[in-house]
Amino acid sequence: MTMLRVRDVYVRFGGVVALDRVSIDLNRGEILGLIGPNGAGKTTLFNCISGVLQPDAGKIIFEGRSLRFVPPHERARRGIARTFQNLQLWGSMTVLENLSVPMDALGRRSTLGDAVGSPPSEYAERATIERARAILHVLDLDHHAHTLAGDLPAGIQRRVEIARALAMRPKLLLLDEPAAGLDANETLRLAYLLHTVRDRFHVSMLLVDHDMSLVMRVSDYVYVLDFGKLLSRGRPTEIRNDKKVIAAYLGEPAAETAVGANGDAGAVVLATDHQEPIRAVPAGNAPLLEVKNLAAGYGPLEVIRDVNLYVKPGEIVACIGPNGAGKTTTLRAISGVVKPRAGHVMFGGRDITGRAPERIAALGLAHIPEGRGLFPRMSVEDTLLLASDNTGTRVNPRVAYDAFPRLHQRRWQAVGTLSGGEQQMVAIARALLAQPKLVMVDEMSQGLAPTIVQQLFEMLSVLRQKGIAVLLVEQFVESALDVADRAYIFEHGTVGHEAPAAELRTDRKLISGSYLGSAIDDTAAVPVAANSNGHRVDVELMEVLALKVPPAVKRAIEERAEKEGRPAGAIALELLEGNRK
Amino acid sequence: MMPGHLGRLLIAVVAFLALAWIPIGFDVGLKFDAALSLVWAFAILSVVLLTGYVGQVSLCQATFAGVGAYAAGMIVNTFHAGYVVGIIVGVIAAFALGVLVGLPALRLRGITLAIVTLGIALVFDKYVFQDHIFDWFTGGTGGWRVEGTNLLGLRADSSSHLLAAYEVLLALFILTALLMVNIHQSGAGRRFRAIRDSELAAATMGVNVTRYKLLAFGLSAAIAGLGGSFYPLVAGSVSPQPFWVFTSLQLAAIAVLMGVRHVPAAALGGFFMAFIPDILTRYGHGSFHGRVYDISYDWFSLALGVLLVAQLILLPDGAWGDIHSRAAKTWAQVRMRGNKQVSVA
Repeated sequence: MTMLRVRDVYVRFGGVVALDRVSIDLNRGEILGLIGPNGAGKTTLFNCISGVLQPDAGKIIFEGRSLRFVPPHERARRGIARTFQNLQLWGSMTVLENLSVPMDALGRRSTLGDAVGSPPSEYAERATIERARAILHVLDLDHHAHTLAGDLPAGIQRRVEIARALAMRPKLLLLDEPAAGLDANETLRLAYLLHTVRDRFHVSMLLVDHDMSLVMRVSDYVYVLDFGKLLSRGRPTEIRNDKKVIAAYLGEPAAETAVGANGDAGAVVLATDHQEPIRAVPAGNAPLLEVKNLAAGYGPLEVIRDVNLYVKPGEIVACIGPNGAGKTTTLRAISGVVKPRAGHVMFGGRDITGRAPERIAALGLAHIPEGRGLFPRMSVEDTLLLASDNTGTRVNPRVAYDAFPRLHQRRWQAVGTLSGGEQQMVAIARALLAQPKLVMVDEMSQGLAPTIVQQLFEMLSVLRQKGIAVLLVEQFVESALDVADRAYIFEHGTVGHEAPAAELRTDRKLISGSYLGSAIDDTAAVPVAANSNGHRVDVELMEVLALKVPPAVKRAIEERAEKEGRPAGAIALELLEGNRK
Repeated sequence: MMPGHLGRLLIAVVAFLALAWIPIGFDVGLKFDAALSLVWAFAILSVVLLTGYVGQVSLCQATFAGVGAYAAGMIVNTFHAGYVVGIIVGVIAAFALGVLVGLPALRLRGITLAIVTLGIALVFDKYVFQDHIFDWFTGGTGGWRVEGTNLLGLRADSSSHLLAAYEVLLALFILTALLMVNIHQSGAGRRFRAIRDSELAAATMGVNVTRYKLLAFGLSAAIAGLGGSFYPLVAGSVSPQPFWVFTSLQLAAIAVLMGVRHVPAAALGGFFMAFIPDILTRYGHGSFHGRVYDISYDWFSLALGVLLVAQLILLPDGAWGDIHSRAAKTWAQVRMRGNKQVSVA
């Protein structure tokens, strides 16, 4: 039975047609994937279905009834719940309270009864809390019940959002990029979780994500949007081999497509034509950036300690490691955004430890933070001209436009109206114009479509040709290693290992070891040839990632690592190999 | 951990007993301040509900209190009805105006909403409370005296009954505060707070945002109006001056200063607003080492501004909010230390 019919929905914002007569059918119990490049109109469609936005034309019919004049809260009560791409939890309320709100909305609660604490109100309150606890238990969130939602890390907040949507007892769940910001390991867990949710709560789902492996694994049927139009639809296997889709998603001339070794899930693999032989950096060069025994943190929490690293002029260095290993904090401590607590940061032979961020930037150290640090209402041209204030000389934005012709077309547009990829281009272009000696980029590819990510990684090679060094924090290990000269593997707030990128590309055990920290339930989830954004992932590496490590074993490994002064990952691998023999 | 319903009731009773005897030994002037402080405490409580719980900025809370005061005064003076009727009419009038003011808030938020409510306060100040057209009802800039009324035997024009007015006001205030805490901890409060944190998420999670925003404005105005409707009883007169625009701004500032998310902050704020200016004018002049000084009422606004800046830096959650949470933390540490000693022994 068709549960949701979307018929010829049309939405325009000013001159831009966001949705051009899109039609979708969703059957009961089905998981429907919705994919498409940035700006394809996926979130707009979600907003139309959940009632946040009124389409200019077209019909949306849910369970045989039109939703045209139904306000958002009424749609929610009829069974449409959603999550948000940019997390929208109620941050000052506990997780339990977050789940209680939608539950209350289902029953009739009177404000007066609540105020005086009448017996029916008390009873309803207890029932609400019991049910909320049950949902938290299924999603393995029990011990976060009384934490303020705003204090949780983003990965767990995503899970709480799903829990909150389930508290609405939905028939249809709209998931807007649930895997954004999750690493490969957490994404696998999410896929497992979504299947659990469907089986236990009997909900249909509409899933938007950039992570092809997730969408392909989870969905029964996939719709592809491109520039507001429905480009294609079909079963995941059909979509994966659809020439039109591959062209739209990867950009035809830039990338060739290949089928993964085992021809299985997410077989769309980026061609790595920028994998030119590594240019050896002349030895004996004095390092441009040198970090010694750096420690930093927030409030009572010490996030990094004893971090040692260096970057030579013109070198590309990658920082990799699992979420929460301290990569971002290291960049912040170097650029002065966070005050270092111990250690030294030397840049160009000068000690810049604990200096004000703007003075460090003036020395030629550009920091592009996670989330890009742009001003949404400023035009592209004005944003680029801002760079002149750092160097003291007026810059010519033409240099940037030559590197990114697309920005020239959009030079008078407000930055906030650009797509995510274009915004990242603006951020890199602005850094470039300040004539830096070193650019630090944090999570450049987060939430971006593969074509754009590839362009950005190529841009890093351009920076190198200009003699600018790059320090890179990146979740997509493969892509980072393809452009980098050397890499530091972060582990539990410090540098666990340092090696040339070429070496790491062949010997992945070192990397996988550093990721071993988190356990995963789905041991069957191995045959993934490409993870999010089509980046290659080694099957063997995934195997190691997918291992389930009981907490006691993990603790024992960490204790031994501390005793022997070696990374925990290395010891774990040693044990594993011993077992295999 | 928040106490349950019974615990809150107990705290309310203890609070009443602790506060009830305070003005007993005061002279008439200070007794008047004590009663007035509760009128303002109601107004600040209305800010706590609207801004602290629901996140809606309003700069016309004194107008709501004024509507309560004028309605009650008129009912008593012109129609010679009992004071209880006056209070009921005052609260209903304020509630209705609150819902009306809430209508623009359905579309506006933040600074624009603040400006619209400020406009409403200005309009009421200049064109309702003070304009000649409404002289027959408001008495113009001078207001009018409320004479010969009584609330359950309290005579309004008699300064000797200020103490009794204080006790009645205190009981009502604590009851209202108790109901507000109950709401905060229950379903309605969660919906209010959900609207504060993310309206978008609240709407898509089944909260009728329109209804709860209007309800919040109405309830908030009713609370301010309840306090205001006692003003004629306490002061023996009604005039536009106490309810002008600047009072609304002061109420908002003092609410933030004391902790806009916390109910007890309202009591602190009311005390601050009624007593400090009076004490300044009473004892703020004289000579010190031969130098004559005169700290008049003007200094109150100056001090409020300075305190507000200091508070935003030092106590971001307001005086009550931060001191309370710090005390709770210290208490937890003390208890932990105690437990440790037990385990060692």
